[in-house]
Amino acid sequence: MKLLIVEDQAKTGQYLRQGLTEAGFNTELVADGNSGQQLALSGDYALLILDVMLPGRNGWQILHAVRSAGLDTPVLFLTAKDAVEDRVHGLELGADDYLVKPFAFSELLARVRSLLRRGSATTQETSLQLADLRLDLIRRRVERSGQRIDLTAKEFALLEMLLRRQGEVLPKSLIASQVWDMNFDSDTNVIEVAIRRLRLKIDDEFPNKLIHTVRGMGYVLEERGA
Amino acid sequence: MRRMSLSSRLALLFAACTAVVSLFAGVLFNRASEAHFIELDQQQLDGKLIGLRRALQDLQPGQREARLADELSRQADLSLRITGADGQRWYDSSTQIPKDLPQQTGLSTISNDGTDYRVLNAPLYPEKPDSPQLSLLLDITHHQHFLQRMQHLIWLTVGLSALATALLGAWAARSGLRPLRRMSAVARGISAQSLNARLPEEQIPPELAEMAHSFNAMLARLDDSFQRLSAFSADIAHELRTPLSNLLTHTQVTLTRPRPIEDYREALHSNLEELQWMAQLVNDMLYLAKADHGLLIPKREPLELADETDVLLEFFAPLAEDAGVKLTREGHARIESDRSMLRRALSNLLDNALRFTPAEGYVSLRIVDQPSAVRISVENSGEGISAELLPRLFDRFYRADPARQEGSSEHAGLGLAITQSIVRAHGGQIHCESEAGWTRFVIELPKGD
Repeated sequence: MKLLIVEDQAKTGQYLRQGLTEAGFNTELVADGNSGQQLALSGDYALLILDVMLPGRNGWQILHAVRSAGLDTPVLFLTAKDAVEDRVHGLELGADDYLVKPFAFSELLARVRSLLRRGSATTQETSLQLADLRLDLIRRRVERSGQRIDLTAKEFALLEMLLRRQGEVLPKSLIASQVWDMNFDSDTNVIEVAIRRLRLKIDDEFPNKLIHTVRGMGYVLEERGA
Repeated sequence: MRRMSLSSRLALLFAACTAVVSLFAGVLFNRASEAHFIELDQQQLDGKLIGLRRALQDLQPGQREARLADELSRQADLSLRITGADGQRWYDSSTQIPKDLPQQTGLSTISNDGTDYRVLNAPLYPEKPDSPQLSLLLDITHHQHFLQRMQHLIWLTVGLSALATALLGAWAARSGLRPLRRMSAVARGISAQSLNARLPEEQIPPELAEMAHSFNAMLARLDDSFQRLSAFSADIAHELRTPLSNLLTHTQVTLTRPRPIEDYREALHSNLEELQWMAQLVNDMLYLAKADHGLLIPKREPLELADETDVLLEFFAPLAEDAGVKLTREGHARIESDRSMLRRALSNLLDNALRFTPAEGYVSLRIVDQPSAVRISVENSGEGISAELLPRLFDRFYRADPARQEGSSEHAGLGLAITQSIVRAHGGQIHCESEAGWTRFVIELPKGD
């Protein structure tokens, strides 16, 4: 699975490539619009990450060329501009997502994974599981070590998200947006509290902790050796 | 087109007024003198008529002409015509008498060959129906000359007085408008450095007092905004300086000597927290800057406010339960508004309210549907905010808690400012009221157009 990054700022590009490579993606980086477009049109990539302002040819022109060529490669825009018209323009042209600088890398990673997952057909699971934690999607019940755990609707949704994306670091903003549909930066600590309350029910009584805080980045659900 | 100056305008108006008044007075005087002359002539002619009738009655026909000549010779400006009942001209005392004279009895005025006459027609024997007619003519050319001179004088007076009042008026207007020039001098002297200059309101005439007051009020507002703006810039620098200095110090200290890997990780984590806080601050400031430039344009969609706020209440429920605070909503209304912006605005209020509510307290959100607006209030129990702090709550970087911690992951003090920007972008208003025991933020949003 190959990703193409078109970013003219050397430092940003380097860090993006390093971060995505270490997250297990095969990435290629180019710094100008023309070669970016050439590569994008080859159709070898599973995802394009485009900066808007580029030398040669801007991100929108590349996106336009890609869509005109009949390619439906998902496109994620990175931009320092935050004008609503820009956002609308990008989405009208067929961009799949839009991130405004400065953004957190964990946010970018989570969105990249969402976009890549969207392409693959998801099988309709009836239950999700990690270690001895089991979530029954049909009966909407949660068990750990065979013990029934009562969760509120939102706690259930939060746990479902963590389970579906187990092993991924989920930033607070993404959780707020996916679970509560709050699509704005907020300095509230609601998510911290919600996670703490979920931990109280899921993890506290068990020696094997599953929900982990990744300092400064977000939360991850995974089994770590004791 | 160049506008006429206020002084010239006033001078011209003064001149026009004087001209009209003096013209009116002149015309009135002219009329009065003319009437007076007519009256005098009438008296004179009536007197003469009586004398003539008597003379003509007493005398024998042979003596008449001589007596008439004698009677008329005493007054050079008087002449007489006698006409028979059949219209035949019997007698003319002078060859100068015009051929045609007015026929009606009584006084009339005629003009002939540059000479003006007053003519009095009367029957010689008033009691006889077919009496011969007497026409007495009085030469009034000198009266008319006098009246004409009067008229010239009047025109001259009108012209001169208009000119004089124009000049005087211009001078009066200039000195009367001196306070205005003083105002403009003050206005000229104002720059960003001297926004504290004010007009001395007690020295300004009452007519201009209101304007001077508005002018001073405008200066006060400008001064205030400018102060806030300067404070804002200073605050930005200040807010960023603390995390930046933390980052610099921490990074440099970490790098001074080799350390175990854990220490590096710890340093990076700490830096990450500072950086995230700064990123949030920059994003919030960009949002506010966008609002200031009128670029925050709500995408209006019909919303059921009760549903929207319930979603928010659900979001904040864990926080409220954790803090032991009762979080409730009552009322409902429909409104056209930007969903995401409205959520952001209300979430700031709810977050703020929950932050300051003590355990066992309450936060209640109330929606009131009014005819032209929707009122949303967020009230919380707690200490309350003193009245002098209320207007400052929406200032950027203002924190009610004086022991504020810069650079902590706590909020930056921009939440209420953002809420206010969003409310204003919707054409609404927000204010805060508070008393001992409760604090209430009230948003009023107009209902569409």
